[in-house]
Amino acid sequence: MEKIGFTTTVPVETILAAGLRPVDLNNTFIASEDPNALVERAEAEGLPRTTCGWIKGLYRAAQDAGLSGIVAVTQGDCSNTQALMELWQSQGMRIIPFAFPYDRDRDLLALQMRKLMDALGTEEEASRKKFDALKGLRKKLSLLDRLTWEDGRVTGGENHRWLVSSSDFDGDPEEFEARLDGFLGEVKQRPSNLAPSVRLAYIGVPPIFTDVYELIESAGAKVVFNEVQRQFSMPFGAKDIYEQYALYTYPYDVFGRIRDIKEQVSMRGVDGIIHYCQSFCFRTIEDIILRRELKLPMLTVEGDRPGPVDARTRIRLEGFIDMVRDMKGAG
Amino acid sequence: MPLGMDLGSREVKIVEMTDGLVVGRLSYDTARFYREFGRVSGGSLSVSFDALGFPGHKNLVLTGYGRNTIRMDGAAVISEVKAHTLGAIHQTGLMDFTLLDIGGQDTKVMKVTSRRMEDFVMNDKCAASSGRYIENMARVLGMELSELSLYFQDPASLSATCAVFGESEIIHKMAEGVPQSELAAGVNLTIVKRTLPMLGRFPVGPIVFAGGVARSPAIARLLERHTGRSVITVPEPSYNGALGCALYA
Repeated sequence: MEKIGFTTTVPVETILAAGLRPVDLNNTFIASEDPNALVERAEAEGLPRTTCGWIKGLYRAAQDAGLSGIVAVTQGDCSNTQALMELWQSQGMRIIPFAFPYDRDRDLLALQMRKLMDALGTEEEASRKKFDALKGLRKKLSLLDRLTWEDGRVTGGENHRWLVSSSDFDGDPEEFEARLDGFLGEVKQRPSNLAPSVRLAYIGVPPIFTDVYELIESAGAKVVFNEVQRQFSMPFGAKDIYEQYALYTYPYDVFGRIRDIKEQVSMRGVDGIIHYCQSFCFRTIEDIILRRELKLPMLTVEGDRPGPVDARTRIRLEGFIDMVRDMKGAG
Repeated sequence: MPLGMDLGSREVKIVEMTDGLVVGRLSYDTARFYREFGRVSGGSLSVSFDALGFPGHKNLVLTGYGRNTIRMDGAAVISEVKAHTLGAIHQTGLMDFTLLDIGGQDTKVMKVTSRRMEDFVMNDKCAASSGRYIENMARVLGMELSELSLYFQDPASLSATCAVFGESEIIHKMAEGVPQSELAAGVNLTIVKRTLPMLGRFPVGPIVFAGGVARSPAIARLLERHTGRSVITVPEPSYNGALGCALYA
């Protein structure tokens, strides 16, 4: 089966409808044997040190992935992707640009989605069928999310790994669903874990750190909300594929994200927020707005390269969890 | 007797207390501390209380960078921000303030309300505008730290806050004939400018100044001038974290 890569979440239903295997290059990069080596090789080719680690990782990950093309998100993610796309294009890769309209304009979004269908040689009806076929799987991911915050049977790290993988279902939704069924079966045997604990939200792009969830757990806190990862799982119960990608918050303005975060942190009883920013990312600017709007203690952590959490970030995380615990105790 | 230890990046500080009073304080260069008192066993570095002169000590609380990497049996560990908050409340008797701690390789700003830390920020990943930067610049200027920390008038304009690149900028200015005193004041102002965005996050109340860099009266003066807030330097800036640990013990 031919493989199509993409640079951030796109309508995966359409790739599947075209009989292609979806490959989220972010997952390929971070799950590779030595992600740091991919970043170093990209730098050796001239990508600046002061550029996002994901961009550099994606660049090299795509070269080794045996892809027949890449859907590159040129609007709704960062403009670095545009240069990345051009770099791939200059090396002979087939590029299919995709733009999420900034103002969430439904007509423009539908046009983009139909252009993607055309580019991949499929039709609306086939995408609609895939949308219907994935409904059950998306519901199971919502259940997994519920088992994280409602009764603590799923850890924050497990929640992250399953939801972040739902952008491409590891290339094969059927196999993914079978594994998910196995996991949920095992989880249901676990006792609920309702012991009092510091309840944290993780907002922002998924971490480039490999052990941040383990570190948070070892410091005595639980992540009960993974913002963007949850968005990747499209938990909206949308009526059709167009509505689904209009409700998806990540590629649009920060205010839609804030509405979603406020609703979820209130429902999930969150005590504090960790805002992860990638070094050199435009989203570090949005931190100002997030801090102003979200009335909970917030720690902003920044990651550059793949690997374990560095000593400084670790000290910040532990200090933050300690502070939130004290505030909760005193509250 | 409660013992507090702050394993900092440049110095290790130890404070011993009895009945709420400090009865002893010690400091070591961090590298020397690890060399002389550290023993590698079972894959981790452990430190002997006996060799440190506190035989059989049971009531030890640790903080600082080294707290996660070295093993001290029986020691409790608290976060830097908590240790510094406790130390500053004890040293000033204040309930509401913004605590600024500038150490060897980082800067922390904590908001303390009703004797409780409510929020904090820390600088980003480098030693820019920390003690390490001042040490390097003092060396370039051929000054003792005690002398450098006196200059605050007519600061020369410096753009590089990097502990490494700052050096070439200073040398260039020296070649241009800028007086030493203005360069020293410029170095001190650089530190202050770098902390202003962090202090701006918590814009109310007096600034309590702690950490090794708070030994500089010039930086305290410049902080006052650029924030318009009162700046209270704690009596024992370097020992603030270790004191907080001893108080927690």
